[in-house]
Amino acid sequence: MLSLLPQLLVSGIAIGMLYALIGLSMTILYRATTVVNFGHGDLVMAGAYMVLIFTIHVSLPFIPALLLSLAALFGFGYLLHRAFIWPIIAGPHLSLAMMAIAIGYAVRGLVRLEYGSEMAKMPRPFEEQFFFAYNTVMTLDEITFCVVVVVMLIASYFVFSKTRFGRIVQAMFQTQRGAALVGINVRLYNNLIWGVGCALGALGGVMLGLILVLDPDAGVWTLLRGFAAMTLGGFGSLYGAVIGGLIIGVLEKVLGTYVSTAFIDITCYLVIIVVLLVRPRGLFGQHATLRI
Amino acid sequence: MKPTRSLFWLLPLAALALPLFINPYHQYVINLILVYVLVGVGFNIVVGNLGQLAFSNVAFFGIGAYASAIFTTQLGIPWWLTIIPAGLAGALAGCAASIPALRGVRLFYLAIMTLAFGELMRWTYIRTPFLTGGSMGLTVPPAELFGWVLETETQKFYVFLVIVVVIVVAVGRILESRIGRAFLAIKNDERAAAAMAIPTGRYFLLAFALSGFVVGVGGAMYAALVGHLSPEAFDLVQLILHFAIIMVGGLGSLVGSIFGAILITATPELFRDWPGFEELMFGIVIVLVILFLPRGLASLLARLHPVFKDRYLRDD
Repeated sequence: MLSLLPQLLVSGIAIGMLYALIGLSMTILYRATTVVNFGHGDLVMAGAYMVLIFTIHVSLPFIPALLLSLAALFGFGYLLHRAFIWPIIAGPHLSLAMMAIAIGYAVRGLVRLEYGSEMAKMPRPFEEQFFFAYNTVMTLDEITFCVVVVVMLIASYFVFSKTRFGRIVQAMFQTQRGAALVGINVRLYNNLIWGVGCALGALGGVMLGLILVLDPDAGVWTLLRGFAAMTLGGFGSLYGAVIGGLIIGVLEKVLGTYVSTAFIDITCYLVIIVVLLVRPRGLFGQHATLRI
Repeated sequence: MKPTRSLFWLLPLAALALPLFINPYHQYVINLILVYVLVGVGFNIVVGNLGQLAFSNVAFFGIGAYASAIFTTQLGIPWWLTIIPAGLAGALAGCAASIPALRGVRLFYLAIMTLAFGELMRWTYIRTPFLTGGSMGLTVPPAELFGWVLETETQKFYVFLVIVVVIVVAVGRILESRIGRAFLAIKNDERAAAAMAIPTGRYFLLAFALSGFVVGVGGAMYAALVGHLSPEAFDLVQLILHFAIIMVGGLGSLVGSIFGAILITATPELFRDWPGFEELMFGIVIVLVILFLPRGLASLLARLHPVFKDRYLRDD
């Protein structure tokens, strides 16, 4: 049984890369606006559905369809923040959470109305292949996940630390009011951050579309895995979300193999519940609980 | 109590005559509305009055429904005897859901955790087929009241009406009492409430248990009404229904929960041929309510006539 472990690690890390990307995109939104986007999973799946629409109904090749889908989700995130989140940003947390949930449901309803009755499969850009090394198998999909996510992580590191945009965003992560005082257009940059966050999530959704049959309800599946990554890593910690996502991916495989396959579905729920009960700040987060 | 408030009793009295005028299908929808009045009232206690982001309401509803169904099918207890145990099962689930809140988990953390709890319960219904019938669902024998079998929708209606009136009046009294004021104090500022020597932890537990009880009783009624429980009935579409009821009705308003339930429950029955339409419509409705009517229908009604204003809200 133990000989399976390297294989489980490899495939767990590969799928964990996707959770990490989705967790990271949610963390960016959270850090910028302190809004947890409960509709994020549905936007992630919308990314995959957009690719489906652009390739099948508009008959574009895969790469242009992917780029258009990311652009569409960027625009959607931008408008979403501008039109629905910004007007109530000073309101109670409950309204913000409800707004995000309601938008997620509306997107899901739209998808179900169009694709609810059929099994939609996103077209593949390449044929599946298998690679063998040191008694482990890796699929081309898994290699793609790892390469794309690692490239995205390096790219976002450079964007956040080296560019003017990244420095402004970092300033806004620290304090929005302070950023506004030194002349940053907070509303514009919040719009942009929501756009970037949604596009990043959509990229994760497109990669999930390679291995999943598209289903309107997959949004919740994604959302809870993104939450689990964020919770385990510590809310608001960017690298925490990445590490959390990788751990969840591996944990799913390990529990699913050594305990029971039923655990694959509920690993992320259990992680959320156990982490919030035992150590609410997660691995790298700031204080998270109210002590009275 | 101001004399005008007793006018509210006209509502259930008028409802008594309702079955004379309508067909069985409409009677079924009205019974469903009664179930969702309890769901809305229970949900609003935690979200509206205590001001916590707890999404575990569907779990309470499912636990109440399954508890009632399991007691009747496995133990052969008549339905009317399972109402209180179903409510207690819901209350127990409420206590369980309040544990993270007692540990200081608030806001989004609580929301995520309770969301995970709800999904975990749905997984449990599917994975315990010996109790719940698994994904095939569980067929519930016709409800029975003192040996009198509730066969028609009209019979169920009168029984449900009595239960709903008793519970709504009781919850109203609780919310107007010291307990309800403590909930509102915690909602407005938890630290300040604690500084005023309000034992916040105890009130958290109480609010969650009360919410779980009310929704659990609603679940028992739901089991008797539909006669067949399946795990899909307690998924996230159910959750948006619950949210729509309290958001449209008015957060933290008892009157709002009732009118929200009447308005929201009736609509999906019109669109059942188009899967997805419910979610789309409720999503849009909630967005519009948050943007343009943040206090919900209750605030409109209160502007119409002060009698609709909840007494525990009159000062703000």
